[in-house]
Amino acid sequence: MNAEFFAFSLFSVFAIGGAVFFLNAIRVMHMALSLAFTFFSLAGIYLLLQAEFLAVVQVLVYAGGISILMIFGIMLTKPEESGASKSFQLHQWLSLIVVTGFFLVIMLIIYQNPIFAPTVKVYSPSVQSIGTTLFKDYAIPFELASILLLVALIGAIVLARKEQK
Amino acid sequence: MPISKSFLIIGIFFLVAVLLPIAALTLGRFLRASKPSEEKATTYESGVNPIGGSWVQFHVRYYLYALLFVIFDVEAIYLFPWAASYDVLRSEIGLGILLEMGLFLGFLILGLIYAWKKKVLEWK
Repeated sequence: MNAEFFAFSLFSVFAIGGAVFFLNAIRVMHMALSLAFTFFSLAGIYLLLQAEFLAVVQVLVYAGGISILMIFGIMLTKPEESGASKSFQLHQWLSLIVVTGFFLVIMLIIYQNPIFAPTVKVYSPSVQSIGTTLFKDYAIPFELASILLLVALIGAIVLARKEQK
Repeated sequence: MPISKSFLIIGIFFLVAVLLPIAALTLGRFLRASKPSEEKATTYESGVNPIGGSWVQFHVRYYLYALLFVIFDVEAIYLFPWAASYDVLRSEIGLGILLEMGLFLGFLILGLIYAWKKKVLEWK
């Protein structure tokens, strides 16, 4: 239990530290790298919560795929040495309001539901039980996910081809 | 093997993977001679003098490839729980399990065919 607490503290410090670096970095590329670091630390926290499948997904999709996608997106933009922004602009105030509202809603949900109740100890890997639940009880949402992926694929192709012309 | 023990092994591997490059780089810093000159400090560009910064604008084609990669990455994620619980599901819902995954893959193959037809996969 002690080692678990130590690992949790380490991972959460890494996750928050990566996020703080993300906000304070001047170069966009450093921001992407610190975000990838945060993703990795979150994977560690998932592992501590015995959600090893989620941890692997976090590493494969977020730390791998999304970070690469972000770096490609940065490379796609025109290089511009932008100085520090002057002051709080309108869109920053707007995003502050949205983020604060989101935080309050999440906190409300957390405190209304007893998620800190003791859970059943899991001894087998969770991949198998995820598979059984997903394909037996949630078959329709699973098929809908494939349609969502298809829409994302076609949308990306259409947008990128429009840009090429 | 109990699950906590296999995680311990993964943790040890992870620690070794993190510590090895750190140890190699710190050891190298102490061992190597350091006589920097202006010529040595320039970016290596196959023997030619580099022009401009390292940040150049990529073609949108690269981004499309990254997007395709992420989409098929997510698709591959779904295959793992399917394969892991195949035996259980096979005995409970029979061959419908093959149909489920076939439909899922079918939609994405449709997208791949679309990308193929739109000549996204060709490289000029």
